[in-house]
Amino acid sequence: MTHRKTAALLSIIPGMGQFYNKQFVKGFAFLFLAVCYFIAFLDFLNIGLWGIVTLGTEVPRDHSIFLLVNGVISILVVGIGLAFYYFNLYDAYQNGKKRDNGLELSTLKEQYHNVVDKGFPYLMVGPGFLLLIFVVIFPIIFMLLLAFTNYNLYNSPPAKLVDWVGFKNFIEIFSLDIWRETFVSVFAWTIIWTFTATTLQVAVGIFLAVVLNQKEIKFKGVIRTLLILPWAVPAFVSILIFSGLFNDTFGAINQSILAPLGIDSLPWMTDPFYTKIALIFIQSWLGFPFVMAMTTGVLQSIPGELYEAATVDGASNWDKFRKITLPMILFTTAPILITQYTFNFNNFNVIYLFNNGGPAVADQNAGGTDILISWIYNLTMTSAQYSKAAAVTVLLSLIIVSLALWQFRKTKSFKDEGMI
Amino acid sequence: MKKLLALPLTFALAASALAACGPQEDSSSTGGKKETASDKPEKLVIWEDQEKGAGTEDAIKKFEEKHGIKVELKEIPMLDQQEKLRLDGPAKKGPDVITTPHDRVGPLAIEGLIAPIEISDDVTKLYTESSINALTYDGKLYGLPKSTETPVFIYNKKQMTEAPESLDDVLAFSKGDKGGAQYGFLANWTDFYFANGILSGYGSYVFKDDNGTLNPEDLGLANEGAVEGLDYITSWYKDGLFPKGIIGEKAGQTIDGLFQEGKVASVMNGPWSFQGYKDAGIDIGVAPMPKLPNGEYVKTFIGVKGYNVSAFSENQEWAAKLVEFITNEESAKTRFEKTAEIPPVVSLMEDPLIADNEAAKAVAVQSERGVPMPNIPEMAEVWAPAANALQLSATGKSEPKAALESAVKTIGQNIKANHSK
Repeated sequence: MTHRKTAALLSIIPGMGQFYNKQFVKGFAFLFLAVCYFIAFLDFLNIGLWGIVTLGTEVPRDHSIFLLVNGVISILVVGIGLAFYYFNLYDAYQNGKKRDNGLELSTLKEQYHNVVDKGFPYLMVGPGFLLLIFVVIFPIIFMLLLAFTNYNLYNSPPAKLVDWVGFKNFIEIFSLDIWRETFVSVFAWTIIWTFTATTLQVAVGIFLAVVLNQKEIKFKGVIRTLLILPWAVPAFVSILIFSGLFNDTFGAINQSILAPLGIDSLPWMTDPFYTKIALIFIQSWLGFPFVMAMTTGVLQSIPGELYEAATVDGASNWDKFRKITLPMILFTTAPILITQYTFNFNNFNVIYLFNNGGPAVADQNAGGTDILISWIYNLTMTSAQYSKAAAVTVLLSLIIVSLALWQFRKTKSFKDEGMI
Repeated sequence: MKKLLALPLTFALAASALAACGPQEDSSSTGGKKETASDKPEKLVIWEDQEKGAGTEDAIKKFEEKHGIKVELKEIPMLDQQEKLRLDGPAKKGPDVITTPHDRVGPLAIEGLIAPIEISDDVTKLYTESSINALTYDGKLYGLPKSTETPVFIYNKKQMTEAPESLDDVLAFSKGDKGGAQYGFLANWTDFYFANGILSGYGSYVFKDDNGTLNPEDLGLANEGAVEGLDYITSWYKDGLFPKGIIGEKAGQTIDGLFQEGKVASVMNGPWSFQGYKDAGIDIGVAPMPKLPNGEYVKTFIGVKGYNVSAFSENQEWAAKLVEFITNEESAKTRFEKTAEIPPVVSLMEDPLIADNEAAKAVAVQSERGVPMPNIPEMAEVWAPAANALQLSATGKSEPKAALESAVKTIGQNIKANHSK
């Protein structure tokens, strides 16, 4: 048998292959790590893996949600263990191969330098990556798994156990009338909201930036400062003030702006249509300064020669805007504009603080202006439908992740070559 | 290479799967009910509502002296306590007694976070029947009441000399000179919490009460009385006595604001609003709600705050004793003196301490006329559709009957969707 095979086979017990390759320090370190791993985690993994499969068998000893958490952590720990185990086998195999080919094995000192030189970036990234696994990946997996359970008020620990139910939650969202109707109408409004509100805020921002960038305009600093102000005020304060301004009877919009113009009071808070208009307006107000500030920066970096050349060629101002300014702006800012869309898709603050998703409309589970994320909030907070809420969240994430990925990939600015 | 690796990997997986045979220890280590009364614990922990600790301190001191058990009091906002108990309880860091609004009792009992307590009838007789009912779920008593609150009639003494006897008088006042105010009377009747008083007064109910157990399948929000009640509510909006601006989510804040500015002569609101009104410099008078045009009392929702025993407590019997002690007549009286929380203790209703306090008396009297807010979890599905029906009717977009029937249909659907066991 070749050295490589023998070494790899021996390394089924971590470190043995390394001993065989006469790398005693490394072998001992591997063996020591493996033993520590089992001593430290065996009990935890035992309960965790058992727990995630059964979610508990006995009340009140077993708390299904804690078991689920333990289980997810166990799987992550097992994953890390397997990665180490694979490395151990790989190392034994590679060094065995070297021996087969009659090459010298690295001495301890060389190994050390190897690790420090080649592995340095990994060493630096490692701790952060580990933290990321437990702080970001772990909650996502937990939420994902929750969508496949029946966790709601009536199956809550410690009184009851939670069970795996497969795709039941997803099927119910589309098969039960009230769930389907709510989902469809909330989803439709979420899409309309995302596109109109974001597009408007981007359009207004770019428009103002371009106007302010004209040479003829005086007092640019003052005007810019004024226009930036909506961004400087904390959004939630603005939203709460707006909800007062839009009050049907006492609000300044109806009383001081529309009334002198001879327009009757509009039902801003009690008619879903007008609430939607108001929401889109408010979001544009909150969002345009950022786009404007960003665009102003881009505009100043567009070389003047482009415009001069265009003037020589006889292009009108509109032509210059359409063929030079706009493409340059969109090219540079596209990734950020996309995040504006994804941000509004999940813009909980405006919806919740302005009218709490209301006004109520007949025959559905959510308010007239509820978007997916605020509906999920209500499902969790008022109805204790944790698993349904998780299922809707999964659907929402699928949509938003695929949209974002698709758009990012289509955007030229993520390719290596520049435009200029 | 791949084959070579596959073997140990499968082996490792199989090994971990084999090892994963679950907890081997016996389950006898858990379950807190085995203590007997003779096993005195060294210490009990009680979670009291924020800024309300002063009202309970005296009683705790006496309990410590009497039984020689140390009691630790922690102030935690009442609505945060359940969330904390969910995590602290299983970790054995939780309290023995928590403070809870009674409408959370049903969900908490289902979740298994609070335990039923054994209290003799002699003791429960101390409290008003409605407050004991409020803390009973599924036929079991889950705690004893600490305080009660319900919306009452609050008026600005500068604009209204005395509280009217009936809502008809209020109507006449609102149509008349209004005491110089912009509005004679405002109430947040598109919020179901306030509107239910009217609807129930006309004979509606949320869930049918079958001898102390609420039946979530029998909804009474679209019965004749409810329609009549909503007709009455709608008339206030139709006649322009209630402006459109007090419809919807923010209505409560708007009404508060108008009352504090002196633009409204009287409002319907709960005891929690008294201080704010006084701080705004309004000289308030408080009375029970005026009678309905049909001669019935307004049956407002009562909220009861109670002490419950945690299901994680290892000394549930002693915890129950503590609950009994800190809600008894003497303790309740001290609590009222210190924190102005109105106890639903029958004998104290006649006590000069409360009887001579206009505001407390009004709340106490109205509490006797009201109905406890349902404490079953299905109630969560009622608020939004009911408010919806009230709004649709108040804005004239829908007839009261149609609006209520649609609401009851939605409530029924949601109960089926969210609460089928």
